[in-house]
Amino acid sequence: MTSDLRHSTDVPLDFAALPAEAIALEPNQIDQAVQLSHPIRREAQQWQTYLNALALFGFEQWLSERAAELPINREHCSVLQPQYANVMEVVCNLRVGEFNLCLVAIGSLSDQTIDLPRAVVDLPEFTAHFYVVLEILEEQEQAKVWGFLRHDQLISLRQSVNLPAERDWTYALPAAWFDYNPDHLLLHLRCLEPAAIPLPQAPTNRLATLAAMQAELMALLPRLQSPDAQLWQVLTWEQGAAVLTSPELLDWLYQLQTKDAPSLIRRSTDVLQLLTQPAMNLGRWLQDELDEIAQSLSWVLLPSLPTATTPLRSPGEEIDVILTQLGRTGMAIPSQARGGYKDLSLAEAPLRLYIVTWPHLSPENVPEWTLLLILGAQSGHNLPHGTRLRVSDQTDVLLERVLEQNVNDSHLYARVAGTWDEKFLVTLGLDSGPALTLPPFTFHPN
Amino acid sequence: MGVASRYWQFVRLNAAGRCITEEIIQAREFFRQQFAELASQVEVQDSFIQRQLLQLLRGTSEDSRLGASSRSLAERCLRCFISSQIQQVCIRLEAQFGREHGFTRYDLLPFVLDNVSVTGARGIDRSQSSSYQFLATEILQTFDPDQSGLAAWTTRLVRHCRELNACLLEHGVYLVSDWAILNDTNLRQLQRIFSEFHQLTILEMQDACTLLECYHAVYRHDRLGQRQAKSKKACQQPTMTQLNRIAHCFHNNTTQELSPEDVLARLQDLAKCLRQYRISVRRRSPPTESLDAPEICSQASGIQSINPLDGSNEPDNQTEFLRLYRQQFIHCLDQAIEQVQRVRLSYLHRRDPQQAQRFIPALRLYYCQGKSMGQIAPLVGLRAQYQVTRLLRLRDFRADIRQRMLERLRGCILDIAKDYVHPDRLQSLDNQVEVALDEQINAAIADVEATATGDGPRNSLFTQQLCRHLLQTTNAQGQG
Repeated sequence: MTSDLRHSTDVPLDFAALPAEAIALEPNQIDQAVQLSHPIRREAQQWQTYLNALALFGFEQWLSERAAELPINREHCSVLQPQYANVMEVVCNLRVGEFNLCLVAIGSLSDQTIDLPRAVVDLPEFTAHFYVVLEILEEQEQAKVWGFLRHDQLISLRQSVNLPAERDWTYALPAAWFDYNPDHLLLHLRCLEPAAIPLPQAPTNRLATLAAMQAELMALLPRLQSPDAQLWQVLTWEQGAAVLTSPELLDWLYQLQTKDAPSLIRRSTDVLQLLTQPAMNLGRWLQDELDEIAQSLSWVLLPSLPTATTPLRSPGEEIDVILTQLGRTGMAIPSQARGGYKDLSLAEAPLRLYIVTWPHLSPENVPEWTLLLILGAQSGHNLPHGTRLRVSDQTDVLLERVLEQNVNDSHLYARVAGTWDEKFLVTLGLDSGPALTLPPFTFHPN
Repeated sequence: MGVASRYWQFVRLNAAGRCITEEIIQAREFFRQQFAELASQVEVQDSFIQRQLLQLLRGTSEDSRLGASSRSLAERCLRCFISSQIQQVCIRLEAQFGREHGFTRYDLLPFVLDNVSVTGARGIDRSQSSSYQFLATEILQTFDPDQSGLAAWTTRLVRHCRELNACLLEHGVYLVSDWAILNDTNLRQLQRIFSEFHQLTILEMQDACTLLECYHAVYRHDRLGQRQAKSKKACQQPTMTQLNRIAHCFHNNTTQELSPEDVLARLQDLAKCLRQYRISVRRRSPPTESLDAPEICSQASGIQSINPLDGSNEPDNQTEFLRLYRQQFIHCLDQAIEQVQRVRLSYLHRRDPQQAQRFIPALRLYYCQGKSMGQIAPLVGLRAQYQVTRLLRLRDFRADIRQRMLERLRGCILDIAKDYVHPDRLQSLDNQVEVALDEQINAAIADVEATATGDGPRNSLFTQQLCRHLLQTTNAQGQG
């Protein structure tokens, strides 16, 4: 620090007048903002989330005062969804009328540079018609619409000066690029046709991209377990883009960073499998059909289940016996249920997996489907002790069955149910040795 | 260089709250004796004098009797200087904000010029609180001539006085505290600012970043906790416990040992650098236009289009616009005024019914009677001009009317509807309406001025329409 500064007699006072257009933040808004920041573990992101929430509430209040007729839709707003708030430094996907808005909260520093995350510029899933900067005076409990930038202007200005993204996936935009008159923003929101500012479309091959980098991601993602680890420190931008555009992966990442569950690391494989592997549609079985995946994996569709006169030891009869036994234990298998099986070997043990599936309605009348799994040995063999059968979905391991050492059951059973948009992932394994994960199962009869 | 007499003239408040400047003769004689070669000069080297006086105050003299008396005299000289500096700060605040925000130095001085005696003895009225420390005493005890001059140090402590800040905030004037500035600075910004604005070595930079990170981890974390407990608005200086936690974190990351006092000093240095940057940025940014007085309003038409290449808002076009669309213009203006006024009023009703009651009368006083905001304040039961500014938000009011007009114009003039699909063209259209409205408003002000002097006809469209609505609203309220 220079000594002349220390001894200058006339220190600037640095007091400022609250602008007439400042928005006073209410105590309940501050309270809510604290609540929203609460689950975020990385300190810097937690504070940013707090400011972001204040920016959202301040902006909504400003809009309700100036243009109450403009409908605000927060449904996809990032700050209200912890898995997005966890990774986004700004508020994105706030809808006002037909427009998509991105809110950027800045503090009292009066920086000449506005940092915009690369994601909200380069990823169509997060781009906005308007990037709106709000100055948040946290200490004074005031907010102010500081300025805004249209997407088309942002892109053309960025190209004209060839602005690169920073190492930490941000664009450092000069403050002078922004329009400081919030009235102009209102003008656009009120009068402009949304088509006037075209936004890029999200590519349709996101899943394929994710599938292609599955192996590398599986190796890298566990390094994000520390809440202090940020995506840009671990991943390349291409990998980051794939993660950021996958809501399921973001959800998993949030669980990983906020919950103390070592199983989540193992689950990264499951999540990626569920997301990226083509699923086998069991709904087709209702029409006596196997889909392409089932055919390529040599699944065998069973004739309709309640039959009596099939040769001994044929798969049809074995399943009938099993189902009859299950029926005695109280599990009702409806008549429209269909079944199939696949022979497979796990560490040289010849196994057979039966699947029985059927649709039904939940108590709330929501269409659901049931997946019943029966794992046994092929004829003439015994199911090895230590055999495992695990079923998981995107969020968790739903159940895991193990054949214990001193038990002589011939089969492992598992039964799960879900709505028609739910997928299940089935993994088989032995005590030692590799596990075998089957393609995800879905159920779409039509 | 400073004025020598500041070291023997003591400024205090009398019982009536007025400033009194007393000449302390003993202090003057002592000063002349100590600085014989300087006393005749009008301007003196403050840093040298302050260092000397402080040495006399804090040093040990062999002759204890003489030592005690020179200690006390040196203290009086320094206290005189501090008192006048406190007064200066309040005068500067008054000059900068007082008129618009409705306060004078006499509203501020009681919070900071609390020392009634040059010896630092307690006044009778303060004796009830034994832990109370006079600001001047605190300034004197914490003053370090190696760190800053006494004037700057005094300004610094006055500026951060909690009661002063609370009082100013009530008048719409605020100071961002050091702690809020540190809260609001992230590592990216710190690195950028320090490499561009302050020249730091890489090592200094790393330390600064680590310190800020540790500060955030402790202070911001605690602040969110306090917010949850619904307490503490302004950011207070970190507590001893917090400083120790920051020191601990810093030690873990750098292996350097810092005392809590070191941490505090370093954080304050950091905040000072950031504040300097903030001040320099704010100086450069253009002043915001004001609509506070009607005469300024007439000059406020210049809202720059973001696209300077767009030539469609040439003066010819503006007149053309009004000529072509006059009929629709009046019609849409009428509806827009009605709508904006209604929406604003209902918003105020929801937020603060008392403010809602003031709104229409204040608007009438401004537009229909040509009163300035300063004149309006007492007439509607407000203290200061800025409160009227915040109540009326005229710039917003006019922008909203303009945009409602545009919404309606789109419906009735097909020619211009095509402009609504080009952001820049839409903005230039908005500018044209703005200019056309300004013409109306300027004419209105000319009318008002004419009315004030004689009784010229009030034929401006905007004022006519607006005042008609205001009258209707007032009548409706009277009946309701």
